[in-house]
Amino acid sequence: MTATMTDLPVIDLVHPLPGFPDQRRFALVQLDEDGVLCQLRSLDDPDLRFLVMPPVAFFPEYAPEVGDDVVADLQIDSAEDVIVLLVLNAGESLTTTTANLMAPVLINTATMRASQVILDDPTLSIAAPLVA
Amino acid sequence: MLVLSRKVGESVVIGDEVTVTILEVRGDIVRVGIDAPRSVAVHRAELLEQLETSNREAASPSEDAVASLSEALKQRPE
Repeated sequence: MTATMTDLPVIDLVHPLPGFPDQRRFALVQLDEDGVLCQLRSLDDPDLRFLVMPPVAFFPEYAPEVGDDVVADLQIDSAEDVIVLLVLNAGESLTTTTANLMAPVLINTATMRASQVILDDPTLSIAAPLVA
Repeated sequence: MLVLSRKVGESVVIGDEVTVTILEVRGDIVRVGIDAPRSVAVHRAELLEQLETSNREAASPSEDAVASLSEALKQRPE
């Protein structure tokens, strides 16, 4: 899953984010030149946004495997179309900021279909510190 | 809520495509087998609750939090 990071003006969540059943359309916006810190901003609720990041900077080994159901849901033809994003829980500093490894957001850049996928792997933390 | 009593090895069929079978009962642990098509998401309830809580905590961080995180990321050692 190695699609290049880029701004995406309209993403459709095929399933809403757990906790936010009414927001399905989001925009992905990069917040820095390196594409490390990004945000998912709701197009329906201007006050709702999530900080997200591609795993490569802090979790280079992270390579989630998803099932056929996700491939079908997002209409994935090629893994190269897919962007993987970790939802961040922002703390005061890097050491208190955590990333959700258990449920990454996958975006198929070919179809703009996305969802937060719950991975069936008990070793993945829902709140992994960015730096130990 | 529909309440049914089932023995080990017995099943409950939900709709046309989902079958829940009681596999084992040991003390207060019940092992349940779920046979459902791939289009039906099956998750432990507490995992979904955990994810909802985590998402709500992550939602809409303050401008200050975003700015300080952004700054910290710029200054991190490569």
